[in-house]
Amino acid sequence: MFKHFFFTELRYALRQPMVYIFLGLITLMVFGATSSDNIVIGGTVGSVHKNAPYVITNFTAIMSIFGLLIAVAFYNNAALRDYNNQFNEILFSTPLSKGGYFFGRFFGALILSTIPLLGVFLGVILGTLIAPAVGWEGPERFGEFHFEAFLNNYLLFILPNMFFAGAVIYAMANKWRSTVISFVGALIILMTYIISGTLLSDIDNETIGALTDMFGIRTFSIESKYLTPVEKNTLSPGFTGLLMVNRLVWVAVGAVVLLLSYFSFSFQEKKKAVKAKKEGEKAEKQEFLQPELHPNHGKASGLAHFGSFFYTNTLSITKSITFKILFLFSALILISSLVGGFEYYGLQSYPVTYKIVDLINNSAGIFVVIVLVFFSGELIWRDRDNKINEVIDATPHASLVSMVAKAFSLITVSCLLHLFFVFCGVIYQLVNGFTNIELDVYLLEMLYGKLPAYAVLSGVMITIQVLVNNKYIGYFLSIFLLFMMNFVWLALDVQTNMVSISDGPRISYSDMNGFGPGLTGALWFNLYWLLFAVVMIMGAGVLWNRGASAPFKERLSAGRKQMSRGYGLAWSGAFLAWVLVAGWVFYNTKVLNEIVTQDESELIAVEYERLYKKYENVPLPKLVDVKYEVHIFPEERNVDVKADILLENKTNKYIDSLHFNCDPEWSPEFDIPNAEVVLDNEEMGYKIFRFNKPMAPGERLEITINTAYRTKGFENDRGNTWIVRNGTFLNSSTIIPSMGYSSRSELQDKNKRRKYGLPPKDRMPELQSTCSEACMANYLSNGHSDYMPVETIISTSEDQIAIAPGSLIKEWNENGRNYYHYKVDHPSQHFYSFVSADYEVARRKWNGVDLEVYHHPGHDKNVPMMLDAIERSLAYYTENFGPYYHKQCRIIEFPRYSRFAQAFPGTMPYSESFGFIANLEDTENNNVVDAVVAHEMAHQWWAHQVVGARMQGGTMLSESFAEYSSLMTMKQISETPMKMREFLKYDHDRYLRGRSREVDNELPLLEVENQGHIHYGKGSVVLYALQDYIGEDAVNRALRGFLEEYRYKEPPYPTSNDFLRYLEPEVPDSLQYLITDWIKEITLYDNRLKEASYTELSDGKYEVSIDLEAYKIKADTIGNETQVDMNDWVDIGVFADSEEKELIYERRVKVNQPEMSFTMVVDEKPAKAAVDPRRLLIERTYSDNVKTVSEGESEP
Amino acid sequence: MNNLRIANLSKTYSNGVKALDDVSIEIEPGMFGLLGPNGAGKSTLMRTLATLQEADSGSAFLGDIDILNQPVELRKVLGYLPQEFGVYPRITAWQLLDHMAILKGITNNSERKELLKYLLDKVNLYDKRNKSVKGFSGGMKQRVGIAQALIGNPKLLIVDEPTAGLDPGERNRFYNLLVDVSEDVIVILSTHIVDDIRELCSNMAIMNGGQIVYKGTPQAALEDLKGKVYQKMVTRETLKEHANSFSIISNKMVAGQPLIHIYSESSPGNGFEPVDPNLEDVFFSKTNADHLLV
Repeated sequence: MFKHFFFTELRYALRQPMVYIFLGLITLMVFGATSSDNIVIGGTVGSVHKNAPYVITNFTAIMSIFGLLIAVAFYNNAALRDYNNQFNEILFSTPLSKGGYFFGRFFGALILSTIPLLGVFLGVILGTLIAPAVGWEGPERFGEFHFEAFLNNYLLFILPNMFFAGAVIYAMANKWRSTVISFVGALIILMTYIISGTLLSDIDNETIGALTDMFGIRTFSIESKYLTPVEKNTLSPGFTGLLMVNRLVWVAVGAVVLLLSYFSFSFQEKKKAVKAKKEGEKAEKQEFLQPELHPNHGKASGLAHFGSFFYTNTLSITKSITFKILFLFSALILISSLVGGFEYYGLQSYPVTYKIVDLINNSAGIFVVIVLVFFSGELIWRDRDNKINEVIDATPHASLVSMVAKAFSLITVSCLLHLFFVFCGVIYQLVNGFTNIELDVYLLEMLYGKLPAYAVLSGVMITIQVLVNNKYIGYFLSIFLLFMMNFVWLALDVQTNMVSISDGPRISYSDMNGFGPGLTGALWFNLYWLLFAVVMIMGAGVLWNRGASAPFKERLSAGRKQMSRGYGLAWSGAFLAWVLVAGWVFYNTKVLNEIVTQDESELIAVEYERLYKKYENVPLPKLVDVKYEVHIFPEERNVDVKADILLENKTNKYIDSLHFNCDPEWSPEFDIPNAEVVLDNEEMGYKIFRFNKPMAPGERLEITINTAYRTKGFENDRGNTWIVRNGTFLNSSTIIPSMGYSSRSELQDKNKRRKYGLPPKDRMPELQSTCSEACMANYLSNGHSDYMPVETIISTSEDQIAIAPGSLIKEWNENGRNYYHYKVDHPSQHFYSFVSADYEVARRKWNGVDLEVYHHPGHDKNVPMMLDAIERSLAYYTENFGPYYHKQCRIIEFPRYSRFAQAFPGTMPYSESFGFIANLEDTENNNVVDAVVAHEMAHQWWAHQVVGARMQGGTMLSESFAEYSSLMTMKQISETPMKMREFLKYDHDRYLRGRSREVDNELPLLEVENQGHIHYGKGSVVLYALQDYIGEDAVNRALRGFLEEYRYKEPPYPTSNDFLRYLEPEVPDSLQYLITDWIKEITLYDNRLKEASYTELSDGKYEVSIDLEAYKIKADTIGNETQVDMNDWVDIGVFADSEEKELIYERRVKVNQPEMSFTMVVDEKPAKAAVDPRRLLIERTYSDNVKTVSEGESEP
Repeated sequence: MNNLRIANLSKTYSNGVKALDDVSIEIEPGMFGLLGPNGAGKSTLMRTLATLQEADSGSAFLGDIDILNQPVELRKVLGYLPQEFGVYPRITAWQLLDHMAILKGITNNSERKELLKYLLDKVNLYDKRNKSVKGFSGGMKQRVGIAQALIGNPKLLIVDEPTAGLDPGERNRFYNLLVDVSEDVIVILSTHIVDDIRELCSNMAIMNGGQIVYKGTPQAALEDLKGKVYQKMVTRETLKEHANSFSIISNKMVAGQPLIHIYSESSPGNGFEPVDPNLEDVFFSKTNADHLLV
């Protein structure tokens, strides 16, 4: 019996097209991702093989989400087909076995629902076979087949995911016998998935997040987050660890659901919920007379039809269970992400309105889209599903009216949802005591961005459902169009929002700059898409399958008959309007401005390298003095620049030409005496001037460069975010052309380089022990300048303040504009910024230095804290490293389009979103503002007073030192050592995650090549640990000595080896291994507590015994790891509380055996014991270092 | 002249089934019965007349309205109750009829209100007007369907097997309603219940295999057969034999024994006795041309 139903289920579905359509689509998508770098599913693959087990697993895991849709289709069908065909009464009256029927169908559907997902494997296999053969990808991008990866993925992801999802959907379908509710089941699964995702956003809940993920996607990403490329290429997901637990848990949950459903399943027809209707005694019989009717079939009736359609449609959505459940879930998601809205280093920001708006769009916005997709299908199929279509269709309404009413119902419902989210946001703001609620921002954002998008999507989805005339394929197409179409365009190298439904320039609200530079473009794109939707829906009005279902041709001829002349005219009119707007948008985005597609920009980079690489080492003069004149016009978003530049030939050769990289957007004009243009490649922007008389060594030359930036029309994306109405932020490398061949413009990605036949990119020059020519350039100015004086005259509109680094020499008003003259007090790096906005300024003085914070009015909450942090940094750095050479320290807020802080001489621009709105009221939390200010302040020493040569290890001397300095100021004010561990864990994580994504070989800290995870993450952890091992003073002495030798010194610039010359003498012989392990090589630890117990001693003290296991792992540069013997000093300690806040005992012990035992005596009752309790050593798994101590046997 | 004139109407489905095969007929106001076995093409004809389906060729006019090319005009004077009349969930009878009435152009609020009251009373659902239609019994739903079909004084009323699922009382009430409105109105009633036709229709047609095999008044049809129908109780064993030797019209069981009707110009003797033909005999004699056992 089971066999019978199992096979009929299979046979039935295999004769339907659906399974093949889904299989084909998934195969196609994965094939695309495997054979082209342009199509990405779940993150780029980096140096991992395109068919690596890791990649296959990622594809599988992500495709199982799409698999949900498929699951609904198959399981719902299996459960409901007999009911829908009203065959149930016949079937169930036969003596069939309940188990056979129930499980036969279920497992049939299970097998069916996994078939489309086999497309992942088909796609990978096809890609591996075809892509290298046709030459789309080099053969070295593919590794050998790992059949195990296919098998394990099927067993670990596809089967369990479909089983679990299927059990829920099948149970719901059997219980309620409604397709709608089955879809709700799928939605619940999706929602739970999202909720578990928000749990994961804070790092502490990783394990919970991993276990609650019913698809195992995040479980896998957590388990694989520290995998090295070699491991990703070879290891298939295994039946171990969290992943296995997760899979077992969810299969078990699925099985329980299935069994419950089985026991409550019965062949009896479900009793209809008909209330016993009383034959109510009729009150006196009323007489009704047939009224005289005046049917109205004129124009006004259309409006009445619209009203009635709109009302019943909207009612049917808002009353549906799906909608209510979606509503509820979206509220839950929104609230949970509001409450857990973590931002950085575990810190929350103030709930400013734009943050809430972002949050609504990111977390709850997807629900609106789901509602739109789902109910577009529901509305189109509502009449047919309820078998009332013939009656409705036979009434004299215009199909278009019905379509438009459907669209408006969808728009209304979306807006209701959106407004509800806004309501939640406002409540959240109020609950948090935040009263600056900008309702206008909420509403305008909706009006500019969301409402048009909802309208366009409604129109388009309805049209899709009408054209396709099959609900499920319609859903799939809608989703494809929404989420996957962009990959297709990318593969075709078409890059414009004009082909991406409802897209346009992003608008993001900034407190400083309002809706910003994208607004005009966004509004035009809105109009373009709205007209498109109108044209579409008018088409749907014609092609709507009115009456009995009919082939497309018949629908077309039927539609024509109903189309009046006026309709045709209106349609043509809408089409014409759309074409006109399309032309205008095209003119602005493609003619006035440019869209450079990814392929085009790659080709330019390739061509640039081919043509001009030969000039890489031509001798060039260096800048030795620059006087800038910068005029900013915020209203027009234009900038004029004049730079008087003094060049000097610092080489010992004659220089016969000057090379420039010109950005056409800035249309540079050169005034170079006695020189002529000999090469001018406008496309590449490369320009060469040849001197009539070469520059002799030591000779100086004055040149002038004028540039001008003009904003024209609107762009495809929001365009330039650096020159804006309020908050312009430019730097010296943007506003004037850079000199010489720029290797930074080369194609970076090694796989792309191979594709274009370029040799592997030159790595950074290797670290040398004796420095020669290579040390003449530093990595900041790239050899184009050394320490030099800079001054600036900068002007802006009357309502703004303009700032450049240096002391303000003069300030005046001329022609209704504000002028400022700044001069840097000490020759500095030519690393220079220009900022203009309407600021409020907070000032303080510290030992003769002006401390200033330029901030947006209203963003003053954290300003005193910033000033404190500057003071604290100045105090620590001047005491430990050396004097500060500028007369001012400025922090300048810039709009939130970028999120960073950066140090220019004495001047530190700092993003609006990155500290000005962080909520620092809870002093328990990590103070990210202190950390960032201290880091940027430290750069005034590390980068501006001393900077590394442009070679390996260079960034260690600035970024690692700055991060270390910042940690030391933090350490000063942390009340407990455990607070520092909270902070350090983010640095540990940054390094470990970074190294697992390493594209090239991992390098030791000493040879870091500008890799953030190494110079910030590892550098800070290692230097912090070092000062713990050899003492803060010793490390600082080494730093100070190093600084003193190289401060503001002309080249040669120092290397990381030069620093070691100062560090090594400070380290006792017994600890010299630390320099080797941590700085010169790559070392990881693997420590864990095996046992921890305590006994109470007779004197009331406690003896804690621990057994630990400890290994050291050396990683070579390609990720191979070898375990080596340990002979190292490691801390052990005891906590009095289980929150690990009170470290009551700590001892540094020598660990020279893989397994060792120690005892410690403490005064208080211990709660937990730990190896390396303050997390100084780098370990991939730290959680096993701490263990709750159990009570041991008391002493005899 | 508001006759319905159908000429040479044909329709073949994509699977090759010929649902309408050169159908021509003229129908005058009044009740018109359409009889035929399942699959005869009745529903296709009705859907085509209700503008819900395209025909391959032919024409259909209601008065001046070219049904096939002016669907919008026809819909203004059409009342239609399909074979399967479903309802929306979560909506009351009143809301549903209100919606339908607006769609049919009754946009004046007070008129519509009066009309709905009148119709709901007519179909005996006035007391249930604020109940969800989804919860109605089959018969009640059918009555809602009838009410909606009557909205707006249609000139052409097409009802496809309306009495399926109605109890005898409801059925009578329904027919009274139809008769009430059928003055000046063409009512096409499709059914396979022969009695319905006899009781109600002044004119009728029988369809089979996409063709009209008979058209005329029921009386004329009976007249044609008068004296030519004979019946006999036979045993099961001899049933086959009889079928081979006589033009059998129908066979049915009466008290467990087969009773056969045959067509014969003269008395066949052999135990057959003459019988007054009924419409059933007409139906079977027209549709069972091959004289097969059923």
